[in-house]
Amino acid sequence: MTPNHPPAIATWILKHFGCGPNNDVVLGDLAEQYQLNGSALWYWRQVLKAIPVSLFKELRDHAWIAAASVLTGWVLWYLGVITIFSGLTDFFFGMDLGVAFEPSHPIGTAWSILWAPVGFAASSNQPFSYVFAVLLPLIVWAICARMVRGAAGISFDRLEDGNLEGTRLAIRIHANRQKGIVLLFAVSTLLLNLILIGPFIFSFLQNASGTSTAWLYSYVGHLAMHVTASILGILIGGGLLRDRSTVANS
Amino acid sequence: MRKGEYLGNFDLMLLLALMRLGDDAYGVTIAQELEEQTGREVVVASVYATLDRLQERGLVASSLGDSTPERGGRAKRYFRITGAGLREVRDARKSLMNL
Repeated sequence: MTPNHPPAIATWILKHFGCGPNNDVVLGDLAEQYQLNGSALWYWRQVLKAIPVSLFKELRDHAWIAAASVLTGWVLWYLGVITIFSGLTDFFFGMDLGVAFEPSHPIGTAWSILWAPVGFAASSNQPFSYVFAVLLPLIVWAICARMVRGAAGISFDRLEDGNLEGTRLAIRIHANRQKGIVLLFAVSTLLLNLILIGPFIFSFLQNASGTSTAWLYSYVGHLAMHVTASILGILIGGGLLRDRSTVANS
Repeated sequence: MRKGEYLGNFDLMLLLALMRLGDDAYGVTIAQELEEQTGREVVVASVYATLDRLQERGLVASSLGDSTPERGGRAKRYFRITGAGLREVRDARKSLMNL
């Protein structure tokens, strides 16, 4: 019997965003069951439900490591902002990027850290602005995600050596949980961006008379590209877009 | 199994499905069995998530089977209920009957 191939896009999504050691087995089960019922809608429902189910399981099993790894990624972004981005604006333009860490104003702090490159780029409105607000954040987020992936995969196991007194530590890499934690990092970044857009719109409407429309369009355009580049950078740096499957495609 | 951990509804259904399917219990057959008995669509990934948890509790055991072209070259993962799992099912059944 010639195999009836399930929807390629849904399969790609599950292969790259499904988490845990059972992902390949689930893909096989869905492919096998698709031969029987041939329903693309059924396949898509299974795929879209499988991703959060597997993600929550992985995160529940490794909650502390997930929290520590994602926090690592956020701290690295903050360090990137205050060193790379601030350094570039200071070196090339002699200007302050305007990053402010004020615990008493959490939303303003989140804006200034998360969207640091956007405000400056929107004001400069040159080709360089797209490098600054889009390409460079993509690279920095990719680096952050790469570190998140590394932090997520490492564990220290105690080995008991019968011939020696005491124990020794060995580093083990847990590939299965890396994908879930990187995905959590991407989702947390996207959610935070979406959450911040509300207060931003509210703040803009309150101060609309003092802001030019042209600047607003420039800012929103740069922001949309910046957020897209951020998520893409995380997916690329975190290895989620790479095909790590070891089975042959048939 | 730790004292005080009850079997959830889905846990119990899965264990019963394993008992019914015997040696042929893997993701596809388990999901099909549950759908036939409940009349509701079952998410295959949920089956594995629950079975993993039951395996951690020692109620089921698993092994990898052969891969086939229909599965895109991916292996099956077979499950079977353990002695501890059978005892849990019997205890659950007894409790339900008493209630």
